[in-house]
Amino acid sequence: MEKMKLKMLYSDLKSDIDVIEKELETALNSSSHMINDASLHLLQAGGKRIRPVFVLVSAKFGQYNIDQMKNIAVPLELIHMGSLVHDDVIDDSDMRRGRRTVKAQTNNRVAMYTGDFIFARALEYVTSIENPRVHQILARTMVEIVNGEVIQIEDKFRVDQNLKDYFRRIKRKTALLIESSCELGAVAAGVDPKNVRHLKQFGYYVGMSFQIVDDILDFVSTDRQLGKPAGSDLLHGNITLPIILLKDDPTIQRFIQRAEHGFVTEEERMAMLEVVRKSDAIKEAVKISNLYLKKAMKEVEALPNNPMKKKLRDIALFIGKRKF
Amino acid sequence: MDATYIQKNINQLKTNIFMHVRHRTLLQYTGEPVLNEEQLFYLLLPFFNGENWNDKMDKSIITVGIVHSSLSEHEKIHELDATSKEQQLTVLSGDYYSGRYYQILAESGNIPLIRKISEGIVHRCEQQVRVYENKSYTFRQWLESLTVIETALIKSFYTAYNFNQYLPIVENCLLLLRLNEEDKKHKNGETSPIYQLMVDSSVQHEEPFERLILREIDTLTTNLLDYLQTSTFLHDDLKQYIKQKVLFSQK
Repeated sequence: MEKMKLKMLYSDLKSDIDVIEKELETALNSSSHMINDASLHLLQAGGKRIRPVFVLVSAKFGQYNIDQMKNIAVPLELIHMGSLVHDDVIDDSDMRRGRRTVKAQTNNRVAMYTGDFIFARALEYVTSIENPRVHQILARTMVEIVNGEVIQIEDKFRVDQNLKDYFRRIKRKTALLIESSCELGAVAAGVDPKNVRHLKQFGYYVGMSFQIVDDILDFVSTDRQLGKPAGSDLLHGNITLPIILLKDDPTIQRFIQRAEHGFVTEEERMAMLEVVRKSDAIKEAVKISNLYLKKAMKEVEALPNNPMKKKLRDIALFIGKRKF
Repeated sequence: MDATYIQKNINQLKTNIFMHVRHRTLLQYTGEPVLNEEQLFYLLLPFFNGENWNDKMDKSIITVGIVHSSLSEHEKIHELDATSKEQQLTVLSGDYYSGRYYQILAESGNIPLIRKISEGIVHRCEQQVRVYENKSYTFRQWLESLTVIETALIKSFYTAYNFNQYLPIVENCLLLLRLNEEDKKHKNGETSPIYQLMVDSSVQHEEPFERLILREIDTLTTNLLDYLQTSTFLHDDLKQYIKQKVLFSQK
């Protein structure tokens, strides 16, 4: 249902999204049938393709040309895919979006090769763009994403985290790639610098909201909706916004201690989920997400008149209200 | 040029690579990047041989070295259990090095080399994953895989700067060194997965594996020595250095 809504939002970009999908398929084509199978599996898992969409929509504020934009949109989605494959090794995850992960289907080593293959394909693809600024932005983004993940590992099970720690982490983990999608689309399409800044900031705010909603959904969705056990973030030691807002709760504190030692039972997981779901932390987190959305909308206001302004607003709203 | 001069330059290259990927947390948990001095020597070979050399090339070989260490980090990941903090950060150190190589080349606007290196990584990953494929390859195909694994990234650098005349020597030498190393490990009971598959593939041959590999090593050594003897573009002192290296590795 939610995916349908998203497709409706993209409907007038459908032919260009189809170009991206086809290009993704070509980019992932490998002489190794094992990498091919893994890549096909990733493609079939779908995903929201929000990064390519942000590239295309941002580019529509300048000289839009799908043949050029695909060379930005495809690598960004590939970088996202490659990092998911490696993240599943780090998180020891067997399921993602209701499907078995590459590492679960094969082993960690194959997942490493597959991720490296996908990253390399992304860079191979983006080199058709000569503008060095595009590469500088993308390279910085890739390095910062990894820095964010390093911090995430360092912060695992660390209960004395504050909001600033959390925002700093999710900025690098998620917001940066969405910010860069908007910025790169705009830069490649020759949008003027002032509007590039607005689009970049829009991407940042939407990215922050997107991750906060993701972190909320990890607690309020069912195992089936998530395709993995609800509360997985906390089971892995990732202290997200709802938990930071609830960190003094004794049930939560006990749960974190037990999760750190790998002693959590199914009853304890359910009890933890009940505490989080019944608390005000979820409402508070939604409020914070909405504040970011509001800021995103302000950036849209500052952009020149263009039919894509409505599209940006609609996608931002969808992201803020999504249920999957 | 003597061995001390060569080693000094290899050490300098190593230091430069370390400097460009220094990261406090990663250093603490995963240590210094892994670098293979033989591969570094072959990256520097055109320089040692007096080719026109510039800062751009210096930066380029640093980035190729970084990519080698990135992929080496990922070789350290255990097949079934990567849950320890060290293993998790090892995944990220490989990704970090990979991002840094791109960043360095992006800052200097060297887009053609980014393309060549990416193609090299793709090719290398495709060969490395063969170990886990449910498909049988011949002894010869495994030798080809090992050649790609050892040389794909150096080849990227050579192709980008038209140093292709060095390629046969690099392919020959690095394969030979790898086979010698694998053979020693095998004899000590530490057979690597790829070498085990080579052993398994030898059943298709009439000769036993031990004789097959010995013959291959002999052929590669003879070819290399012939090549060194006849090549006109390589300085004599370098020929001598390479010859000694290869003969030493067989002891």
